[in-house]
Amino acid sequence: MRTRTLLLIIVTAGVLLFAMASWAKSDSKEKNDAPSGGTSASSSRPKMDEASRLEGEKRFRANCGRCHAAPSKFQPRMTATIIRHMRVRATITDQDMRLILGYMTE
Amino acid sequence: MKVYLPRPGKAARLCLLAIALMVVCAPAANGQDTQPDSFDSIKPTPVITGSTAYFSRVTGGQWQDSPSISPLLLFPIGNKLLLEAKGASTETWAKNAQGDYAGNFTYGLAYAQLDFIASRYMTVTAGKFVTPFNIYSERLTPNWIRALQTGPLTSPVTSNGSLGGMVRGGFPVNGQSVNLTYAAYFSTNNTNHITATDRSSGGRLGFFLPGPRLEFGGSYQQVLQADRPHSAGAYVEWQPNPLPLTLRSEYVRSSGIKGSGYWIESVYRLSQIPYLKRLELAGRGQQFFAAPNLSAATIKKLGALGRDTNEGDAGLNYYFRSDVRASATYGRQFALGHDANLWVFGMTWRFVSPLLPSGGAQ
Repeated sequence: MRTRTLLLIIVTAGVLLFAMASWAKSDSKEKNDAPSGGTSASSSRPKMDEASRLEGEKRFRANCGRCHAAPSKFQPRMTATIIRHMRVRATITDQDMRLILGYMTE
Repeated sequence: MKVYLPRPGKAARLCLLAIALMVVCAPAANGQDTQPDSFDSIKPTPVITGSTAYFSRVTGGQWQDSPSISPLLLFPIGNKLLLEAKGASTETWAKNAQGDYAGNFTYGLAYAQLDFIASRYMTVTAGKFVTPFNIYSERLTPNWIRALQTGPLTSPVTSNGSLGGMVRGGFPVNGQSVNLTYAAYFSTNNTNHITATDRSSGGRLGFFLPGPRLEFGGSYQQVLQADRPHSAGAYVEWQPNPLPLTLRSEYVRSSGIKGSGYWIESVYRLSQIPYLKRLELAGRGQQFFAAPNLSAATIKKLGALGRDTNEGDAGLNYYFRSDVRASATYGRQFALGHDANLWVFGMTWRFVSPLLPSGGAQ
């Protein structure tokens, strides 16, 4: 029990330290109210038009911002997985999911 | 030994029928389909996410330290399936009866479910899942999401975990001005200490207005074992467009021995003040009313649910980044003979990583 306890504390402390260290290196200009800092999608996909991008941002704020702070952008394939998860968890509609995915991977 | 017949309650059957009708009628009501787009080409990849935290709690003068980790595996299969499993382990350190500082390790399975996206309007889920009752247990429980680290008094009133099947989904109605969301489930009884669930059925029906950012709805749960209590709930959440403010509330009433209660929470992000824009202020007021005429033995068994309680909580959250947060919460609990101060402070980190080495690349 003692070994397991120590291990858990070390792991927790380690990940928190790692998080703090990566925060210290992060871009200080990160915006708090919009996703940022991620990798953009592949250039093989066509760019979203401005209207769709704005609608995607609006749906993102309305749906995701209901529960938590806006996350950073992730790799497109990770974003697709997370959006599928959130579609189920937060009962996001299919149309909102597509617009948010487009906005998050733009 | 009493045998329970596999017969859902009348209310649950009516709920399932109503949801089936809505899903069938949804395309006609909506009048338009979502067209396939270029983003269908993005192939989801397995992801490991979750959160880790370290919190110190002082409850009525008793100090506890608790590091914890809650990993969540998301494993997409093809275009229609998602396997998701979330575990939780916590080490709670506190002084024992001998005065020694000792740890107690606990672990559990929050959910392990397979989701099948049957259509644009419906997802079918099987496995162990979080019971769809109001919004807190499904959406606001993770410690990196919750605005206050003290939980609502009403949380234990209903079964928070279910083992069985569920249908859920959402679709726009009335053009794009209202999204209707629904969930209906059936759960079996399970006594395994990791997957313990009650035999029950129920569901939730909600409306989300994206324009004014207003969401409201109701929930119902019928337990189909023991004294077969039912619970009804309602919730509302509003984020006024001009302000970085969230207002949310839940109400729960149980017909059994677990009483009723409500909570109202407000969260304000100081994003309009340049040097304080990473800071969030939160407050919550709540009342819990114990069921009347409880015997002394039942009150002892129920613990906190056995007595009327009022509680006020206030807290601060500071976002170092969107995924690293420091939190502090103070609450004052008023219960006859059990008044207590509740302090919680600590940090959370939400992590996200592809499970495969090149998983994130498109």
